[in-house]
Amino acid sequence: MNNQTDIKERIRKNLIWKSIFRRDYRNTVRDRAQAVFGNIFLHLHPVQVREGAVRLRFTWGMGGITFFAFIILVITGVVLMFYYHPSIEQAYSDIKDLEFQVPFGVILRNLHRWGAHFMVIVVMIHMFRVFMTGSYKAPRQFNWGIGVILLVLTFLLSFTGYLTPWDQLGFWAITVGTNMGAATPLLGYQGPFSEFLHITPFNDVRFALLGGSRVAGNALLRAYIWHCVAIPLVSVILMFVHFWRVRKDGGISKPQK
Amino acid sequence: MATDNQNKSSYRVYLFVFFSVLLLLMTLWIVWDDEFGLRPWKKYQKEFKSLKHAQLQKEYDKAQSDFRKSGDAQTLARLEAQLKKAKDLFNSSDVQQKYKKLSGQWADIHESAARNQKELQTNRGQYLETEYYFTKTQKPEYKKKMDELQKRIDAITAKGVALQKQEESLKAALVPFTSGIADIEAEIEKLKSPLEEKKERIGTSDKVPVEIRQVYISDVDKADRCQSCHIGIDGSKQISAKQPFTRHPASFVFLKNHDPEKFGCTFCHRGQGRATTSVKKAHGNVKHWDEPMLEGDMTQTSCLKCHGDVKHLRGAEYIAQSTELIKKYGCYSCHKIPGYDAIGDVGPVLTEVGTKVNYSWAVNWLLDPKNYFATARMPKFFFTQDEAESIADYLFSMSGTTRHDVDYSTETPDEKLVEQGRSLWSQARCNLCHITNGKGGNNVKVYAPDLSKVGSKVSKEWLFRWIKDPNAYFPGTKMPRFRFTDEEIKALVEYIVSEYTDDEAAPKYTTPLEIKAESIKKGKDLIVKYGCYGCHKLQGMESMGQIAPSLVTQGITFLKADEMREKIGTELSSIGSKPVDMLDFGKLKKSISNDRLSYIKQKLRDPRGYRLGLRMPNFRLTESEINGLAAVLYGYTDNSVPSRFMVPSRQELDKMAGVQSYKFSGDFAKIIEDVKCTNCHSIKGIGADYAPDLTLAGSKLQESWIRNFLANPDVIRPLLQQMPRLGLSSGNAPAKVTMPRFNLGVQKVEDTNRSDIDVILNYFQQELVSTDIPKDIPVITTISLEEQIAKGKELYDQKGCRSCHQLGTDGGALGPNLSNVGNRLKPGFIFRHLENARKFKPDIVEPDYGFSERERIYLTNYLMTLKLNAK
Repeated sequence: MNNQTDIKERIRKNLIWKSIFRRDYRNTVRDRAQAVFGNIFLHLHPVQVREGAVRLRFTWGMGGITFFAFIILVITGVVLMFYYHPSIEQAYSDIKDLEFQVPFGVILRNLHRWGAHFMVIVVMIHMFRVFMTGSYKAPRQFNWGIGVILLVLTFLLSFTGYLTPWDQLGFWAITVGTNMGAATPLLGYQGPFSEFLHITPFNDVRFALLGGSRVAGNALLRAYIWHCVAIPLVSVILMFVHFWRVRKDGGISKPQK
Repeated sequence: MATDNQNKSSYRVYLFVFFSVLLLLMTLWIVWDDEFGLRPWKKYQKEFKSLKHAQLQKEYDKAQSDFRKSGDAQTLARLEAQLKKAKDLFNSSDVQQKYKKLSGQWADIHESAARNQKELQTNRGQYLETEYYFTKTQKPEYKKKMDELQKRIDAITAKGVALQKQEESLKAALVPFTSGIADIEAEIEKLKSPLEEKKERIGTSDKVPVEIRQVYISDVDKADRCQSCHIGIDGSKQISAKQPFTRHPASFVFLKNHDPEKFGCTFCHRGQGRATTSVKKAHGNVKHWDEPMLEGDMTQTSCLKCHGDVKHLRGAEYIAQSTELIKKYGCYSCHKIPGYDAIGDVGPVLTEVGTKVNYSWAVNWLLDPKNYFATARMPKFFFTQDEAESIADYLFSMSGTTRHDVDYSTETPDEKLVEQGRSLWSQARCNLCHITNGKGGNNVKVYAPDLSKVGSKVSKEWLFRWIKDPNAYFPGTKMPRFRFTDEEIKALVEYIVSEYTDDEAAPKYTTPLEIKAESIKKGKDLIVKYGCYGCHKLQGMESMGQIAPSLVTQGITFLKADEMREKIGTELSSIGSKPVDMLDFGKLKKSISNDRLSYIKQKLRDPRGYRLGLRMPNFRLTESEINGLAAVLYGYTDNSVPSRFMVPSRQELDKMAGVQSYKFSGDFAKIIEDVKCTNCHSIKGIGADYAPDLTLAGSKLQESWIRNFLANPDVIRPLLQQMPRLGLSSGNAPAKVTMPRFNLGVQKVEDTNRSDIDVILNYFQQELVSTDIPKDIPVITTISLEEQIAKGKELYDQKGCRSCHQLGTDGGALGPNLSNVGNRLKPGFIFRHLENARKFKPDIVEPDYGFSERERIYLTNYLMTLKLNAK
């Protein structure tokens, strides 16, 4: 018994322990609050939440699950990047190698692929819940706007990631998707007013998306960079704003009673 | 209330524990699956290793028991006893005393020599240092020191030499003590080493790591991991005949010429080379993988990817044979196919067909060519009676204005003429190419129509014209011109028309009927739609208006060049790699398997089956022809093959090198054009391999023999052709085929005074000779010719020539009959042939006996005495 306390003491008095946890912890309201304040990861979350706000039947927990899916996608995505070359010669065989050769490649890729589908579904359910509970109303109208942008960014992440395996599915998805861009009014060369605005296949939105006039190496590179760098970066920033606003707008919305 | 909460929380704990355990199990499963479930090749490799271990162990055990049985074991025991004795002697105290004393002395000397050497190095170092200072400062004291050091070095060197001598003599004195032992040990080692080597091989094979084995071809980013399972595929020895451990079949052709380290497997076999997780995936038999693995003969389709010419390619026999089908059916007439651009039409010229055939026959033929004879090459277009009549109307209108038939069945033939014709028919060997009533047609390299019913098809006038000069009606036909007299032709025509008739023929238009203009118009549209001009020559009809002016006035113009589009079918140059998604399975989408090969086969089986409105006719191919054609088409891919793999064809190589391909010249070219020698013979790479190659005829054959033979092939038979053919390709072996008589030498060649035979002989002597073959053989003067001949005969009997060659009727039948060889061949050719038969015929079966020059002279002299006296 004495020995045990001795070991406990030694661990607790250790410099490393102290620099992580800073102070002793007693199970008091103050200390519990302090633990949240003093931690960079936890302090995003409010110290105290009303009981009604954590009722699963009301919130469905979908926002949190979306964020969880995003974290999984970031982690698996980073590991996948080690095994992938965004070039038309290698991309497809890299995907094949993930299946056949890379240790834990199958689970890695499948986590990323299914996780991505999962995130798209969950984020839509989240949106649906927010809408149905009227949580977009004042004072949360700004955050609703941020949410809409995040929804679009999630779709774009999914869209750009679709091309990266360079298979028939992705190829035609991007072909169709960018052709839709080409037919968009004011943006694409096939849309209305294109002649009037001097929009040609070589300066419209489709060209910008593909880095050329057809789905080829440049399109793959663009999709890859949008998918792995640019859109995640913007998403992370907007997510911070989103979470911050949740707190500033009075916490998670709850049943009005 | 409190208990309620407690209940609730304990329930949550259970839930938590349940999911935690589930998560743990799943994690373990993932690890297991990654290590074993998705790596089935590990199991194969381990099994292979244990099989190999067993085999090597067996070899080792056998070697061991052999060793024991052979008496080597006793030798070993004896040697070991000797060794023990020698060692005992060496270890005895007085020997040891002497040995130790000597070796102690040696050790002392050795040590002082080493010390001396070190001192020498030190002094040399000092000398170099001093020298450096001296060159830098030029001070005399350094010079002095240098001299001093040099003296010292000399002294030490001298001492060193002395010490070394001493050391060596001591060492030599030590040797006899141990040399006996060393000798015995060496002998034991020698005796044991083969066994030890075998044992070591077991060890090394056991140490081979279990790992993915792949061939990576960087320029096409191809990684073939097939050998991870097919681990013994290129081994030197068969470990197991079981898949996947077996060796590659005929690897001396395939793997020897295509090193697996450079080519991998999937260039030829297709399949999914990167896949390692299951057999099905690796063999590419999964959805969304367009390249299922090829096995057996079907693999030969890949030869076409790189080899420009597969005709004489070893291991590509199946595909070479199948490519002939493309030529036979003329697929290139409607489809663009690489390498078939410059081949002529498969069908006959139709510009004057109205003067050739009966109208009723033409309609019947258009409805279904197989109505006329079963081996008809022309496909069925599924025309209605009306459509067939319209097309016939169009064709007939090019040379006339009526539908008309002739009927000879009512006439009584002139018996005398028929008899004469019958003998001419057999002399000209018409049956060599043409089939009549199921007989003949041995020369499959030319496609000649079945003549069993020809008497009810063509008119006598046309037949006469045709036999007299085939080139006039159909330029480029394979039919030779037999230089018959007009009388002879008349007899032949009489014989053919009376002998080969169709009892079921029903000529409807014995009284001609005027052709209607709208029918011609309709026929023209049909011809344009179905592309008849792809196989038949129909051009030049605009000018035909002068022959039948009435039709032009009726407002019909014949086909013009711009109405005859180049190819009406789909381009086939990359059909073998066309994405499956782009193949139109139409209404058969659900009933046949959705892969490229099944698509091609089904298309060949039923060309209009995929949907309505397709135009391709039905060739009614046999299943084996379908497989063969599908194999060829499957080989036409646009897959990027590295240029280092490409093997251009002879023609392509010649083109690259700027070499003109061989062309016959002068009057000889005219004769070839006329008699069509190259239908059967090959000359300088041109022509078929049905009859002997004549490339070296001038060096090989005697003039008088050629002259006799050409004038009368029946009298002196071409001995080579009397041989039963051992080629396994065609079922019916032509037992006694002789060359037709072309009546050469009867007529003079135009504008000259020379006969055909003179022209041919002249060309043989001028062109078809090799400087490699001497005109005469060296003469031996030391012994008489009779003795030489006797010696030659002795050699002939001794070497067993008669087991393959016949003299008279005596001897084997594998080689040519030599009864008349002295009349036929030139001595220089025999002499050279005996030296190296393969030089002239690479695939000859004749063994190489390694005759000396003298022996060859004897044999040649003997063979030249073998003559049959022709009367």
